[in-house]
Amino acid sequence: MTKKDVKKIECEEAIRMLLEYLDNELDEHNHDSVEDHLHACRACYTRMEFESRLKNVVKEKAQEKAPIDLRNRIKKISEQF
Amino acid sequence: MMHLTMEQMNDNSAVSPTLNREHFVKQIEAHLDQLYGSALRLTRNSSDAEDLVADTVTKAWICIDSLQDLDRFKPWLLRIMTNHFISERRKASNRAIHESYVEESESDDEPFSLFERLHQPFLLWWSNPEQEFLNQLLKEDIETALNDLAEQFRVVVILADMEGLSYQEISEVLDLPVGTVRSRLSRGRSALQKALWQHAQEPKNSPSGE
Ligand SMILES: [Zn+2]
Repeated sequence: MTKKDVKKIECEEAIRMLLEYLDNELDEHNHDSVEDHLHACRACYTRMEFESRLKNVVKEKAQEKAPIDLRNRIKKISEQF
Repeated sequence: MMHLTMEQMNDNSAVSPTLNREHFVKQIEAHLDQLYGSALRLTRNSSDAEDLVADTVTKAWICIDSLQDLDRFKPWLLRIMTNHFISERRKASNRAIHESYVEESESDDEPFSLFERLHQPFLLWWSNPEQEFLNQLLKEDIETALNDLAEQFRVVVILADMEGLSYQEISEVLDLPVGTVRSRLSRGRSALQKALWQHAQEPKNSPSGE
């Protein structure tokens, strides 16, 4: 895709697609449009950074370690397979 | 939670074309923290979460032949766990469904944006409120906010944001159209942000709050 083909979008549209952009779930055309907009628009770029950090914080803080009792239980179960 | 009998397990000692017993156990061990983490977010209590993981591992071994592709081990496992969780919940109590099921169309549904709340000109004057907000988020805040989500949103947020599954994978795990996954994820995240915001407005009485 050449630079010229990238459709110009406004803030509202960029923000509407922002989370799917971060999830890498937009088609190439929309992905490029959002990316272009983010490079040109400081406000949306700031927002993108926030959403991206928040996503990481949620992911990181929601993690758990399996309790040792569970590990042992799984070991016992799988010995019987 | 359901418990499978030994006969059921032994019934199916067929060796998978993709995975033998030893490799299966290794894979399970490697995914156990993640599996337990998602189970805990789904069930919202540790003893149910442990039962759910144990049942999932047993079920997974029984239907190991349905694993076509080793690269898809995680979504395959999560599909088994999520389906088991949902069907057990339905069986266990109708109450649970009434409690937490929100109609797709139900609209207390103003999209909520944390960023918009935080990014106020008068706050920007003297600090970086967004970064400060993120820095102050505790594990407990995230847990509480996730636990507050209605079940069908919670499931999608867990699969997307904890497990990092693609929309397509989530749609396969839950047997839902991708469009439904998109809209539930969007509503779920919006509700999560709202819960984090509301929780932050409450007076802090956490002992870890220095
Ligand atoms: Zn913009």
